[in-house]
Amino acid sequence: MLKLENIQKSFVQPDGGKVPILDVPSFEIDNGEQVVLIGPSGCGKTTLLHIIAGITKPDSGKVIIDGTELTKYSESTRDRIRANKIGYVFQTFNLLDGFSALENVLLGISFGAKRSTPERAKELLKRVGLGHRLGNKPHQLSVGEKQRVAVARAVANRPALLLADEPTANVDPRNQQQVVELIRETCREENISMLMVTHSMEVAQQFDRVVRLEELNRVVGELRGVAPAVDGGGQ
Amino acid sequence: MNVFKIAWRSIQHRGIGSFLTILSMALGIMMVVSVISIHGIVSKSFKNSRTFGYNILVGARGGEVQLTMSSVFFLAPPVENIPYEYYLAFADKETRQREMRHSLGMTTVQHEQDSLRLAGLVSGPLGSISGMGHELLAASSKDQQFDTMQFHDRGMFDSWVHTVIPINLGDFWVDEKTQSYFRCVGTKPGYFTELVLDIETGRQFEFEEGRPFNEYNNEHGFNEAVIGSAVAAQSDLKIGDTIQPTHGDPNSSGAHIHETDFYIVGIMKPSGTPSDRCLFLNMEGFFLMEGHEKSIKDESVRAVTKRKREQRELEADGIKIDKEAEFQPYFTPGPARLPIERREVTSLLIRGEIADDGIDSVGQFLPPLINKGDLKASLAWTPFSPESSQEAAMAVNPVEVVTRMFAQFVDPIQWMLLALTLMICVVSSISILVGIYNSMSQRKHEIAVMRALGASRTKVLLIMLCESILLALTAGVIGWVAGHALNFAMSPMIEQQTGIRMGFFDIAPSIPVAFLPGARMLPEWLAALQVSPELLLIPGLVLLAILVGLYPALSAYRTDVSQSLGK
Repeated sequence: MLKLENIQKSFVQPDGGKVPILDVPSFEIDNGEQVVLIGPSGCGKTTLLHIIAGITKPDSGKVIIDGTELTKYSESTRDRIRANKIGYVFQTFNLLDGFSALENVLLGISFGAKRSTPERAKELLKRVGLGHRLGNKPHQLSVGEKQRVAVARAVANRPALLLADEPTANVDPRNQQQVVELIRETCREENISMLMVTHSMEVAQQFDRVVRLEELNRVVGELRGVAPAVDGGGQ
Repeated sequence: MNVFKIAWRSIQHRGIGSFLTILSMALGIMMVVSVISIHGIVSKSFKNSRTFGYNILVGARGGEVQLTMSSVFFLAPPVENIPYEYYLAFADKETRQREMRHSLGMTTVQHEQDSLRLAGLVSGPLGSISGMGHELLAASSKDQQFDTMQFHDRGMFDSWVHTVIPINLGDFWVDEKTQSYFRCVGTKPGYFTELVLDIETGRQFEFEEGRPFNEYNNEHGFNEAVIGSAVAAQSDLKIGDTIQPTHGDPNSSGAHIHETDFYIVGIMKPSGTPSDRCLFLNMEGFFLMEGHEKSIKDESVRAVTKRKREQRELEADGIKIDKEAEFQPYFTPGPARLPIERREVTSLLIRGEIADDGIDSVGQFLPPLINKGDLKASLAWTPFSPESSQEAAMAVNPVEVVTRMFAQFVDPIQWMLLALTLMICVVSSISILVGIYNSMSQRKHEIAVMRALGASRTKVLLIMLCESILLALTAGVIGWVAGHALNFAMSPMIEQQTGIRMGFFDIAPSIPVAFLPGARMLPEWLAALQVSPELLLIPGLVLLAILVGLYPALSAYRTDVSQSLGK
């Protein structure tokens, strides 16, 4: 489902020097597999997710999703592939404030290849327990409800892969488990492979496969904490 | 969700900011729409000959602009008057014969003839207007070219004239309650029954209430009046009321109120012409008011006195002479009318006969003849010469005068106004740029989220441009409605100044696309089209919106997703 080959990424510093941040020789996720990625702050977890999603282009290496080599395409093609094959759940939900819960899901659908319909958006929201909150704006929803909308939005286009970037970080412990269960269950139902980044060992322990980025990434700990000043990756 | 809906949601989300941006631009557009439509409609109304219903204007020699402004638009003071006989030179035979009965010369000659017939000195029926009179007068006044027969049978220009309406200006009616004043126009009933406002449709003046005045009426005599729609709307006047005209400009020291009552018998429907803000008085009554008659030269009077002496001699011989009829109109029912030799008119509104091929040749050849002085010959039949009347007349084509006037004065102002309003539009549209740009830092995160969800750079650029276009179009619609509402609200004021009533949906008349700046670059078929400047607002606004929206849109296009998602 997902295959990474020799992914390398560095950031350019203001003085022009390059700071390597990622060097992943290989990484794979099988079809329908749910994997959790853990690692300390600044070790490149989010950058790796951005590279997998095609948002950031690696300096070298290949990202292959569902048989499609994402890295060989132009940015606009990567955008299209992302819209159709990759779902993204953010740490801060990132719902658009001006749009209702339903419209936030429809927004995700509108960027895809129109395989999904407004009926699916409603059905997904009902499935995550928000059938009665379709017209509510984000500020009218609780934190847990917001994340459920975000999950529905991420899977609306029936992606092959769901990337979740610390989806429970801003959720209270009571809702944390619900969110994780919701994501996992939804992915199972839709047969979506999943890669979740988390800091929470409690969350990580629920997954069959836990990957430590330090083990995956050849660029080791001395680079931790170096904030990327300028994105040197080709956009 | 399409890009328009996404953009519209974004506008809604920035409620107050979007509202203020739209408001600022709508105010600018309101001014543009108001200026363009008022100017366009007033210009068209001034220029459109069909609203005049006549194509030749004859008045005293002087400024052609003043003649046109005073007699067509009732705006400027009239210059001078011309003899009433000039009217007869254009009138048809029947009218001339009827009018000649009120001739001092004719009645005198006729009276003498009848006296002679009574005395058995000549034969023929009493009271008939015959050619014998001129022989008699020619004998008694050899230096006069008195030729009534010819004058009766053939007016100088009547065969080329479809309609001729004389008008008299100089009086006003002052509304005591509001101290506003309106122009009085002395004219014939034909102003309402013969004058055609739109030759194509045959539209004439219509009456909201009542009827046109009669030339003579047993109840009101000569003193009937009709009021225009604007006068009725702005005053309390109604049918049956009486008015007393003021002689001269009410603001001048020489103005005084005539002690003559005119009875209002009709209220006109709005016609969209300057006539709406006038009061129309029966010309016969107008002539009889103090100060409206023309004096006659001494020698003319002496010639008549001589004939009177001869009559007295006849009387001394035992032949009865009717002294009452001496200066009275002959065979005319009702009270005395002002003899035509003592009458003057301000101007004549003439519609020439249009040939079958639609070519207005009369409008081309008649004015030069009149300007050459040919009309003076129409005075030759009468022994009475006016004392101070302006005999030199001129004819103008009011459409040409208005067109020239516009080309010289109004069109440059139009371009200035358009330039000004365009600048207002540009300034307002910059408010869109400021509005969108100020929200860009917040929006970069939104844009990054959209990008992460799969929106391409082009899509976010389109969303931003759509937002700018929607803001401009919303402002355009609100501005258009507000502009027309403003025009509608100002309509009474515009009507008072120009005589043109503006409805809510009256849009600026179409102009050829070829007249627009940059039209040379357009394809020929497009340049040949006619379009209302108001309709150009739509592509204009879209263009402006794209221009001002381009910068924030490009900024959105260039948004770094990785960085912006992290913020």
